[in-house]
Amino acid sequence: MLRDVTLTLLPGRVTEVTGRNGAGKSTLLRVIAGLRGPHKGIVKDRPRRVGYAPERFPVDQPFTVRGYLGHMAAIRRVPADPVGAWAERLGFGHLLDVRLPELSKGSAQKVGLAQALMDDPGLLILDEPFAGLDAATRAALPALISEFAAEGAIVVVSDHQRCIEALPGIDRLRVDNGTVTSIPSEKTDWTVLEVEVPEDEADTVETKLRADGYRVRRRKR
Amino acid sequence: MIALIRFQVAGYVRSLRILHPLIVVALVVVLVLVQGPSGPDATDLAVGTFGDVAAFMFPIWAWAARALLDTQPDEQRALTATAARRRSMPTYAGLLSAYGVNVCLGIVALAVPLLQALQVGAPGRAILAGCALNLLVAVPGTLLGAWTSRPLIPGPGVSLLALLSAATALVLLGLGRLSWLSVPMIEWLRSAHDGAAEFTARFPAIALHLALWSVLVGTAYVALAHRRP
Repeated sequence: MLRDVTLTLLPGRVTEVTGRNGAGKSTLLRVIAGLRGPHKGIVKDRPRRVGYAPERFPVDQPFTVRGYLGHMAAIRRVPADPVGAWAERLGFGHLLDVRLPELSKGSAQKVGLAQALMDDPGLLILDEPFAGLDAATRAALPALISEFAAEGAIVVVSDHQRCIEALPGIDRLRVDNGTVTSIPSEKTDWTVLEVEVPEDEADTVETKLRADGYRVRRRKR
Repeated sequence: MIALIRFQVAGYVRSLRILHPLIVVALVVVLVLVQGPSGPDATDLAVGTFGDVAAFMFPIWAWAARALLDTQPDEQRALTATAARRRSMPTYAGLLSAYGVNVCLGIVALAVPLLQALQVGAPGRAILAGCALNLLVAVPGTLLGAWTSRPLIPGPGVSLLALLSAATALVLLGLGRLSWLSVPMIEWLRSAHDGAAEFTARFPAIALHLALWSVLVGTAYVALAHRRP
């Protein structure tokens, strides 16, 4: 049970939710996602497109990975074409024709991530997304999370493995004793560093810098 | 909505859960219904079979609907709800999926009696009323299954007990003064066996009773399902 929770999640920000086991992190995430309604109070201005990846992806379903993601794409009303692209990006392209119950924990986690990411969500909620992932995907996921935030999504991540704490400028919430408190982020002094890049490479560099958590302003010479 | 229905039905069919009611229905068709009506009352018997099928299928429809709605793991229901963008959508899609499957089961159960009714020359209006009766009874059957499905009753043992108890209670309730609270099973069985003309004449009242019952019970189900996490 969580009480007296008042918080604002801003577009373009990544929020890390911490707390001990059973403190209510998943409950908070489910309320934010709209899967549970609060007994009292409201959650308002939730973006229409919500991507939610649960702590344990439910593999007990009679579909192949491709079939399952195809169904989820249809429900989300997005083309099924990006399914393959997400599968390659998250490193499970070779498992598309494997049945869900036969997946390892890490591979199942990737399928859970893919279904959450495929709709370009305005609100992305990841409940322990790093659990069971291989080293390559674990290393790539923080940049992917930053990328979604840089594109304006609200990103909320519960992360016991402390994999996203290195991201610069993230907000932190602590769930404990039935309350949610905001942990003041370490104060960072920002400075302006001008970097000149060839015009045809500007988009690439900007995307990369934003993915790394930097603020980018563009100016033509 | 269509994508959600396809997903639910595909999961139910691929998990082979559909075989359970299908085998029961096929057995009843083979062992009971193929022995068609004969004798001087063949026409009335053929019409009466429509009522028998609806009564027999009522708990089967509830059982099949409950199994279909229980096919998705709980966490998948959460994923489906976020993917559907509207929290109410999976509830409606679940009901429509279950009703669609139940109509298919009804077609399997009714195919032989329908052919027999045509063979013995039963009146067309009575045959149509018999088919419509089954289409209507499939709705409360589906709703009974929905009320006892996992989103509302998480324990599988308790929900099965609830399903059996509710089906029995509805039959018993239909025998007494409070029959208006129940599905009008006794009425449709009685009227179907009173002859084609009687059945056709009393069908509108039975249909109205079924429709009102379905609207009330269905609305209550949707309201409760939306409140559940």
